[in-house]
Amino acid sequence: MSSKFDLPPKGGFSFDLCRRNAMLLEKGFRPPTYRKTGTTIVGLVFQDGVILGADTRATEGPIVCDKNCEKIHYMAPNIYCCGAGTAADTEAVTDLVSSQLQLHRYHTGRESRVITALTLLKKHLFNYQGHVSAALVLGGVDVTGPHLHTIYPHGSTDTLPFATMGSGSLAAMSVFETKYKEGLTRDEGVKIVTEAICSGIFNDLGSGSNVDVCVITKGHKEYLRNHLTPNPRTFVSEKEYKFSEKTEVLLTKITPLKEKVEIIEVGDSMEE
Amino acid sequence: MEAPKTIAHEIGGLQNDALRFGLNGVKSDIVGSHPIETACQSAIKRQEDINRKILANTYGSAFSLKMDLDRQILSRFQRPPGVIPSSMLGFEAITGALDDFCFEDYLNDPRESETFRPVDMHHGMEVRLGLSKGPVCPSFM
Repeated sequence: MSSKFDLPPKGGFSFDLCRRNAMLLEKGFRPPTYRKTGTTIVGLVFQDGVILGADTRATEGPIVCDKNCEKIHYMAPNIYCCGAGTAADTEAVTDLVSSQLQLHRYHTGRESRVITALTLLKKHLFNYQGHVSAALVLGGVDVTGPHLHTIYPHGSTDTLPFATMGSGSLAAMSVFETKYKEGLTRDEGVKIVTEAICSGIFNDLGSGSNVDVCVITKGHKEYLRNHLTPNPRTFVSEKEYKFSEKTEVLLTKITPLKEKVEIIEVGDSMEE
Repeated sequence: MEAPKTIAHEIGGLQNDALRFGLNGVKSDIVGSHPIETACQSAIKRQEDINRKILANTYGSAFSLKMDLDRQILSRFQRPPGVIPSSMLGFEAITGALDDFCFEDYLNDPRESETFRPVDMHHGMEVRLGLSKGPVCPSFM
């Protein structure tokens, strides 16, 4: 009897075509390969909080498809997250978890903790066994102080005072390993983060363009979009790219609607 | 799947035409089409089992049995099949899905699928009452 009362069908990932794809592979069909991705994202803990940094190049194989994309994603007012890997996956995962955190905040009425975001992210990534290819650097400040975590695509995590991710992680880590020390001030921290991202930008082909920085301190955050632009456009046309003034002419005359219903203010009888 | 006399002409890998492509392989139906599919399903089931066990250990086995009964009652509390799907508010509240937000909630909504067939209310009600066969919400796939 219970089987007749099926729950309404739910969405999610569709595996309908997996069997067809397996058959095509068996018959010698060559599927399109994955596009190579590249990123430099970093994060470090300084004396009052956490600083996150990212480059702004988005690649699809050998092509740069966005020169100024955003890789530092919002999670909660006190938590931000840098994403490396497939751009769509990092965006989807961070948006999803930020919605979950928002729901949790509505439920509890308290500030989200970084560990909550970390657990939600790693649970999700581990469930999909690395098929959701998102490598993240999660940073935030909560009641227990500043926290920095890295999350690998398969769901394993690290808790570190400074962390790097993406193809430029080696270049960035070399800067951190030489210059990081405990109790950095804000300006020193931002300088080291910028330097680390720059070393990723100039030494790694998958990373490039500008530097984004996000400084999170107790009860305050500062998102410095395009904090540094080391690669400005070298050629600027003399004529400039100007569009003619009248691109659209509004021909129809708009007459505002007459109000047919009068709204009468009722006293406070409806309240409570 | 491995029919000996396979005809080369296949329609997009869809092999539910038993006369032309042979019966579906039992193995592939049990194993599932992708390891992630089975992993996701088993993860949900395992989580439910763990939760049930925790509740049974903390509040006694009667509590989890009672919750199971509530769950069954609430899962049957649905709208008649038709244009508006059941929201399953009570059911989601008891399973905890109400506080959760996942891919199922916003990606690949079955009602926006190209294989969606508008639900026939009379047929759906007949299925529920055990008068006719088949799923309440049939699709082309």
